[in-house]
Amino acid sequence: MSSSTRGWAYGIGWILPSLTVLIVLLFWQLITATGAVSPAEFPSMTDSMAALATELVSAKLWSAVGATLAGWLIGMLITIVLGLIVGTALVFNKFAQRSAAPVIEIFKAIPAIAILPLVILVAGSTLPMKVFLICFAAFWPFVIQVIYGVRSMDPVVLDTSRALGVRGARRFFAVTIPSASPYLLTGMRIASAQALILSVVAEMVGGADGIGRNILVAQNSGTSAYPTMYAYIIVTGVLGIVLTGAFFLMERKVMHWHESQRNIRASNKVASS
Amino acid sequence: MSRLTTSVLTTVDRRHRASAPLQRVARVATVLWLPVLLLVMWWIATSASTSPFFPPLSTILAETWNQWVVFGAWTNAVSSLRNLLIGYLVGISIGVVVGSLLWRLRYLRTAANPLIYFLYVLPAPALLPALIAIFGIGEMRQVALIALGSIWPTLLNTLDGMRGIDTVKFDTAKALRLKSWRTYFNLVLPGASPQIAAGMRASLTVGIILMVVSEMVAARSGIGYFILQSQAEFAITKMWTGIVVLALIGTLLNFLFVLVERLVLRWYFRSRALGGS
Repeated sequence: MSSSTRGWAYGIGWILPSLTVLIVLLFWQLITATGAVSPAEFPSMTDSMAALATELVSAKLWSAVGATLAGWLIGMLITIVLGLIVGTALVFNKFAQRSAAPVIEIFKAIPAIAILPLVILVAGSTLPMKVFLICFAAFWPFVIQVIYGVRSMDPVVLDTSRALGVRGARRFFAVTIPSASPYLLTGMRIASAQALILSVVAEMVGGADGIGRNILVAQNSGTSAYPTMYAYIIVTGVLGIVLTGAFFLMERKVMHWHESQRNIRASNKVASS
Repeated sequence: MSRLTTSVLTTVDRRHRASAPLQRVARVATVLWLPVLLLVMWWIATSASTSPFFPPLSTILAETWNQWVVFGAWTNAVSSLRNLLIGYLVGISIGVVVGSLLWRLRYLRTAANPLIYFLYVLPAPALLPALIAIFGIGEMRQVALIALGSIWPTLLNTLDGMRGIDTVKFDTAKALRLKSWRTYFNLVLPGASPQIAAGMRASLTVGIILMVVSEMVAARSGIGYFILQSQAEFAITKMWTGIVVLALIGTLLNFLFVLVERLVLRWYFRSRALGGS
């Protein structure tokens, strides 16, 4: 591949996506401006962007983003710490693992949102309510990834570390965590997505401070606030991109040697041929 | 999406099938004792409970029978499940078809990337108020929301699964002069199916969440409506019955999914067990 074609392919990688975003925005403006969709159902793109610009300089938006992020962060920290401890502990005891497996499966299958009304009653529309729901939704899928990750550890690595006398906390941080990291990162990305969804739900249904509540409030305050509603939806999406994107990047950094990543790079050639 | 596992339950090892009955009992006991113990603990801990939030388990179970069978609240479950089923099937069908198309058409994939990615990471419940504005309050809106939410995990996993197929296999297919449709149905689709299944399971989780949220925010029927309505009336035991039913439905749906997955992907699980990983 000559350098000029590579440069062209690189350019395409930027031009095409930007073009799509542009087309979507223009299409949005077109169908609303021509009246094909009434503004009562769908506000115009320019109105929504104007609302977004107004909100971006208002304290209301940023305090909502802060509230959502606070719930996400605390929930994720608790989930990761607890998940690592419980997951690693379970791997080293076959009996405990077999006993805990059905419980984990059942709790994972229970939609966290089922207990939302109960948690609202007990804790009110507060940050702890949100954090509890986030943990309940994110913990089970994450702990499953931890169990798989630690279990997949190469026995030779484990024996070597044992022979070298690496034990306890040092083995956990220097051997167990790095060798399980591909699973752990995927688990964190899944947990993060769950956490964000539950955060929005807790704000929407449970009335806790955050973006979710602002979206619903905008919808309830009538047609004139619809542009604001879409502005908040866009902000929520951007938040999702930032959080998930961070985990994707980490995964690619840690995982660049892994087989599946190699195949993905190679498939770019096959599929286009 | 590379190291994704959907279940901690290990596949049944064929060698153990013929083992002594005593061993079999021991294995079943290992699986069952903790869930049973937790239930018993719940029963005992709440048996003398006077807390309004945590009524005795016995009362909850009796009330569940009353509300959902005798008083006919099961119709709520039926309408919820119907919406979920239609929305979910539409969503995953679109996911697999569009995912395959994007795998084949590289430039379309590059072009559509930001759009798909945005909709995938956007927490789907955030779209609910917008859909209320467009569709109003009705079944149509619920089905649309569930479909819209369950497209993306399936779509992206389809795409990733197909892109992750070993390129040597394509060379083999080329050497065998397989037509592109046959390559697709005999190599690409089966090769990506474990990951497509993982995506469909993620879609199911999202679908259930969306089903309940849309009923909680604006609806006149459904399990979510039942639970939130009971909470608003401060009928705590009634609310608990809704939670129990919803938990049961969620668990059953997931169990059903795993069952179907095991059946359809039997060849995959068997080959993995043989490989010893």
